Amino acid sequence: MLMQQLANGIVLGSTYGLMAIGLTILFGILNIINLAHGEIYMLGAFVAYFLVVLWEVDFFIALLAATIAMGVLGVVAEWLVFRPLRDKDEINYFIVSMGLLTFLQNLALLLWGTEPRSMALPQASETLRIGEIIITVQRLYTVVIAVGVIFGLHFFIKHSRMGKAMRAMEQDREAALTVGVGINEVSSFTFFLGSALAGAAGALMGSLFIVNPIMGFGPLLKAFVIVIFGGLGSVLGAIVGGLILGMTEVLGASYISSAYQDAFAFIILILILSFKPTGLFGKR
Amino acid sequence: MDSSTQKIWAWGGFGLFLVTLPLWLTDYPLHLINISGIWIILALSVGLLQGYVGEISMGHAAFYGIGAYASVLLTMKGGLPFWVSLPISALVTAAFGFLIGLVSLRLRGPYFAICTLGFGEIIRLIFVNWRDLSGGPDGITGIPAPTPIPLPFGGAFAFDTKMANYYLIYTLVLLTVLAMYRLIYSRTGKAFMALREDHLYAECIGINVMRYKKLAFLVSTFFAGIGGCLYAHYEHFISPYSFTTGQSFDLVIMVIVGGMGTIIGPILGAILLTLVPELLHAIKDYRMVIYGLMLMLVIIYLPHGLVGVWQGIRDRFTKSAEEAEG
Repeated sequence: MLMQQLANGIVLGSTYGLMAIGLTILFGILNIINLAHGEIYMLGAFVAYFLVVLWEVDFFIALLAATIAMGVLGVVAEWLVFRPLRDKDEINYFIVSMGLLTFLQNLALLLWGTEPRSMALPQASETLRIGEIIITVQRLYTVVIAVGVIFGLHFFIKHSRMGKAMRAMEQDREAALTVGVGINEVSSFTFFLGSALAGAAGALMGSLFIVNPIMGFGPLLKAFVIVIFGGLGSVLGAIVGGLILGMTEVLGASYISSAYQDAFAFIILILILSFKPTGLFGKR
Repeated sequence: MDSSTQKIWAWGGFGLFLVTLPLWLTDYPLHLINISGIWIILALSVGLLQGYVGEISMGHAAFYGIGAYASVLLTMKGGLPFWVSLPISALVTAAFGFLIGLVSLRLRGPYFAICTLGFGEIIRLIFVNWRDLSGGPDGITGIPAPTPIPLPFGGAFAFDTKMANYYLIYTLVLLTVLAMYRLIYSRTGKAFMALREDHLYAECIGINVMRYKKLAFLVSTFFAGIGGCLYAHYEHFISPYSFTTGQSFDLVIMVIVGGMGTIIGPILGAILLTLVPELLHAIKDYRMVIYGLMLMLVIIYLPHGLVGVWQGIRDRFTKSAEEAEG
C-alpha cells in the first residue's frame, strides 16, 4: 500500500517538477515570476487533447506538438507582454502576468466551457505489475518522459551555446550583456523553454486526468510552492521539491484527509516561507 | 465667486446628488450602485496595502469571507443584532489579518503576494470543508437584513429596501473613505509611503518597518471584514464561491485600473468594473477576458490608471490655459 502510494507520488511529482523547472528558469534567468505559467500548462493539455481526440494523432506526436506550440506561445507572450516592461520595476512583470492568466483562462472558458474532457487513451487503462505496485502504462510513460526531458534540459543548459548564454545571464546580467550576450535572444529562448516544459507537463497530466480550462491554477500554485521550497532559480531544487510535494500530497490524502489534499502544498509553503525563505537549495 | 466658494458649491451639489440618488432610481440600478459601494470598501482596503505600502494582497477575498461568515454566525447562531455583529466581525477579520500578517509580512513583493494567495486558498478550503460552521459548498441562505432601527416616535427604520441599504452602505463607504483619508494624511501614512518607496531608507530614518506594515495590514483586513459583513447581509446568501482567488484578483485589478496610490483610484476602479459589465450586456460574458486584457494594457501603457489619465488631461489643459494667458 505504501509502495503503491509512493509510486503515485512519483508520477505526480515528476510532472510537478516539469512545471516547476519552467517557472524557476524564468525567474532565475529573467527575474520574471510568471503567473500565467499554469494557463500555458492548460493550453498544452488542450492542444494534445484536440490532436488525440479530434485528429486521432498518436499521443507522442500530440505531446511533441503541444510542447512546441506552447514554446511558441511563450515566445509571443514574452514579446507582447513582458518585453515592454523590461526596464520597469519587477513587480510589474508579476501584475502583467496576472492579467495574462485572467485573459487566457477566461478565453479558454468561453471557448471550451467547464465540462471535463478525457483523452481516453488505451494505454491509460492498461496496467503493469512491478512487485506489489500496480501502475498504468501511461503513468509509466509519464515518469520516463519527464525524467528524459529533465536530463535533456540539463545537458542543453550545461553544454550548448544558448545554454551557456542563459547561465551567464543568470549569474551576472550586466557582465553578460557587456560580453555580447543578446538579451532579446536569451529572453525569447528562456520563454520558449519554460513554456514548452509547462506545455509538456500539461499534455502529460491531461493524458492521466481530465482536461478543462481551470486545470492550470492548482499546478501553478504547486509549482510556486516547489520553486520556493527548492529555492528560486534552482533546477535541482525544483526536481527534489516536485518529488517531495507529489509524495506529501498522495500520502497526506490517504493518511490525513483527502478534502484538504490541495491545502498541503500551501501549508508547506507557509512553513518554508516562515522558517527558511531562501528554500532548500536557494542561493539568494 | 472665488474658487473656494466654487468648490463648496460643487461639493454641496455633489453631496445633494448622492443623498437624493435613490429617490429617482429604480431598484435594479440602485442594486448595482449598492454592490459597487461594497466593492468600493473592499477595493479601498486592498488599495491601502497596494498603493500606500506597496504590497499586493492576492488573498483578500478570504478576509472578506471571514467577515461575512463571522457576522452570519454571530447573527444567525448567536442571535446578536447586526449593529453588534458588524464591528465584531470586522475585529475578528482583523485578528485573522494580524495572525496571517505575522507570517506573510516578513516577505515582500511577489513572495508576499504568493503567501497571501496560499492563505486565501487554505481559508477557502476551510469554508468548503467545515460544513458544521460554514454550510459547506452549498453556502448559507436566509441571512437576515440588518436589524431595523427603532425610531423615537414609534415605528422603525427597516433595511428591507434597496433604498435603505443604499444609505447604510454609502454611510459606511463615507466612513471608510474618511478613515483612509485621515490615516494616509497622518504621520503614519507618511511612514507607509516611505516604506513603499524604499524599505531600507525607511528603516534608516527610524521607521519601525514591521510595525507599520502590520498596522496597514490590520486596518486593511478590518475594512475587508466590514465589506464582507455588509455583503452577507445585503445579498442574504453566501457560499465559498463568493470568496475565491478570482475575487481577490478582481480587487487587485480594480485598484490598478483606477490608479494606485490614491483614494479616488480604487473607488473609480470598483465602480467601473462593477457597472460597465452590467450596463453593456453584450460584453457581460467576456467580462473576465476583458479584465485580463485591460490589466495588461493598463500596466504597460497607463501605469497610473484612470487617475493618471485624468491628471494628464488636466495638466494639458492648465498648460494650454497658461500659454493662452501668458
